[in-house]
Amino acid sequence: MQIVFGGAFNGKRQFVKQQVKLDEWSWYEGICPESISEPAVIAGFENWVKLQLQNEISEEEILQQVKKVSQQAGSSEQIWILTDMNRGIVPIDPVERELRDVIGRIYQYLFAEAQQITRIWYGIPQIIKGADHCENLYKNR
Amino acid sequence: MARAKMIFISGGVRSGKSACAESMVRKFDAQRKIYLASGRADDTEMRERIERHRSDRRTDGWHTIEQAKQFEQVLPLLENGDAVLWDCVTTWLANELYEGWDNGQTCAEQKGCMELKWRNMQKTLLQILSKIEFMVIVSNEILDDFMRDEQYMKWLGKIHMWLVQEADQAFEMENGIAFKRK
Repeated sequence: MQIVFGGAFNGKRQFVKQQVKLDEWSWYEGICPESISEPAVIAGFENWVKLQLQNEISEEEILQQVKKVSQQAGSSEQIWILTDMNRGIVPIDPVERELRDVIGRIYQYLFAEAQQITRIWYGIPQIIKGADHCENLYKNR
Repeated sequence: MARAKMIFISGGVRSGKSACAESMVRKFDAQRKIYLASGRADDTEMRERIERHRSDRRTDGWHTIEQAKQFEQVLPLLENGDAVLWDCVTTWLANELYEGWDNGQTCAEQKGCMELKWRNMQKTLLQILSKIEFMVIVSNEILDDFMRDEQYMKWLGKIHMWLVQEADQAFEMENGIAFKRK
């Protein structure tokens, strides 16, 4: 499983579209389906999490669903596009505060699972996990 | 003539990006150091802040040009051999995108308005770069937070991506440390 991570409007989707043959991959936008059979891109993930929270689905249930989906990455490839939303100030809106906490914890789970993580900064990719010899940032814990 | 060297620096509030940009311009040792400021003095605190920055720089030999929008007006004020520090992209974008706010209709609400402004800005920046020697462009990291104004954020992402593409070097500042991304 791979993750492409970065702030909004930084060119994450554009980067993924350059990496994969789009006609061979399924593109899931704002949804996180239970079973994924083909190579898949999961994008707009934060919108899906927000929707779950609005429907009063618990963080635990959301995490279980995420685990179920990401564990299928063993048999077919997955790229998760995750938006970094957690570097700003604490939001006034309680829904946003909850969303921020929940995606923060889910991202930690997904980051631990991923074989490779690429951070995109205004179109420039930087591998922050899984680059073999080129980096050792992720070993610094 | 060769195009001026351009460096893009972006970082959070108080990340040390302005100090870093100023020292880059100082080290370049150009004939003139130009500080291109996009901030507007709308209240006393802001006026004092700007004045403080101005007098700090004056003793250090900077020329300040205040330009909130319409950058084509800057071009005739620049000379060959200048080193320019533009601070910053986010205030310029706010000035242009929300222009007309006091008349009830902003540029953001008019179709094609910001597109036209951005095309002109790209043209002007390239003209500036072909005239001067060195330019450092400073901006803010605000896209890794919750969506406040989608249109503003979309534009800022687009503008930053173009600037990084055009830049000879690009840095991300965090807590006083400059990470070279390009």
